[in-house]
Amino acid sequence: MQQQYYIMCRSLTYAQRAARALERRGITASVARAPQELTGAGCGYSLKVSARRFQDSLAALKSAGEPYGRLFRIEQNGTYTEVAG
Amino acid sequence: MIYLDSAATTLQKPRAVAQASAAAMGTLASPGRGGHAPAMRAADLIYDCRVEISKLLGVSDAAQIVFTSNATHGLNIAIRSLVSAGDRVVISGYEHNAVTRALRLSGADIDAAASPLFDSDAAYRAFAARLPGAKIAVCTHVSNVFGFVLPIHEIAAQCRRLGIPLVIDASQSAGVLDIDASRLDAAFIAMPGHKGLLGPQGTGVLVCGADSKPLMAGGTGSDSVSQEMPAYLPERLEAGTHNVCGIAGLLEGVRYVRRRGCNALRAHETALTRDLAGYLERVDALEVFSSEDASAQTGVLSVRHASVTCEALGEALGAAGVAVRAGLHCAPLAHSSAGTLETGTVRFSVSPFNTREEMRAAAKITNTALKKLMRD
Repeated sequence: MQQQYYIMCRSLTYAQRAARALERRGITASVARAPQELTGAGCGYSLKVSARRFQDSLAALKSAGEPYGRLFRIEQNGTYTEVAG
Repeated sequence: MIYLDSAATTLQKPRAVAQASAAAMGTLASPGRGGHAPAMRAADLIYDCRVEISKLLGVSDAAQIVFTSNATHGLNIAIRSLVSAGDRVVISGYEHNAVTRALRLSGADIDAAASPLFDSDAAYRAFAARLPGAKIAVCTHVSNVFGFVLPIHEIAAQCRRLGIPLVIDASQSAGVLDIDASRLDAAFIAMPGHKGLLGPQGTGVLVCGADSKPLMAGGTGSDSVSQEMPAYLPERLEAGTHNVCGIAGLLEGVRYVRRRGCNALRAHETALTRDLAGYLERVDALEVFSSEDASAQTGVLSVRHASVTCEALGEALGAAGVAVRAGLHCAPLAHSSAGTLETGTVRFSVSPFNTREEMRAAAKITNTALKKLMRD
């Protein structure tokens, strides 16, 4: 299974807006609930993107002016590793 | 039934509106809560509706589109966000109780700019003269009683020049007149979803262009640990579960409006209103509040009779199969400005689904009803 990343978003609406911005640039991202241990503030939403498109996604979000939060790699064993953008 | 009470709510909608609401009932769950498919489908639909509305209204960021339960709800949020007790607030002479009662509740010092009916220049002058030193301004785009189109662009421009936040009540204009929020640059624009936008009752929209204060607090599906409402829109103003079924219908209503275009819808409603006014002006002793300038009036037409009360005429028309609204229409200030506060009016209001034949028939039924009422 291809490795995936979480791009944390401040809310569901922001995650949706960011997903649409990526879609316009040909990048597929799914809006997903963020694991509670990653949000630090209770319920939250994120974008889930493939490792292959992760850097492209960040560049596209920056260029579209879409804000995003912390970034995590989903490891094979189900844990999360925070990564830099 | 000839339905001519669309200024209250549009009863006739595109078929897709009811279909979408019914389909949502069995397929869409609570958005922003679970991560399962029915919840995410609901979230997608709600976001689609925000985007569709933002395109219709010229709003660049869909997050500025806040769902409310009606226009009154949105106006209350706007007024709570901007007004403190004692603030002087300039309003037009054609405001609805949704504005005046909310301002009264806030303790505002209400400064109403009364002006003659269908005189746009006078309406602007009266409004602008009161603006210096005011804390905020509130103006309806279109009178719900007379269909009078207020000079909202000129008023908005003057508010911008003076740095006064403007709240626009677009209850009668959304879906009928072109509204470009980016050009108006208002602090808030409130509108119902169930009138010109052709959605179900229980839906409304608040376009937010200024910092806001929540009217309600509660769950938003985000930042749950914090006991403060989120600082960001739309969650800041959308506590609790959304009216998903209503918003599903609203999306179809807005899609219909965008497909037809506000200009075409307005032209249709203007033609109907001109027809109806022409027929009714031939009825003895009936005063018809119609503007000679078609651009100053939408599809709302008020009348009153010299000797038959409005309530009696409204009741007779209802019994004869013409649905209208009689009385003060929750807008005593508008009646006061137009000189009809003592009598009220009978209001005919059209939608995209009325026909010219219906106008002819409604006028004929009105004439017959009045003759009967005068005989009895």
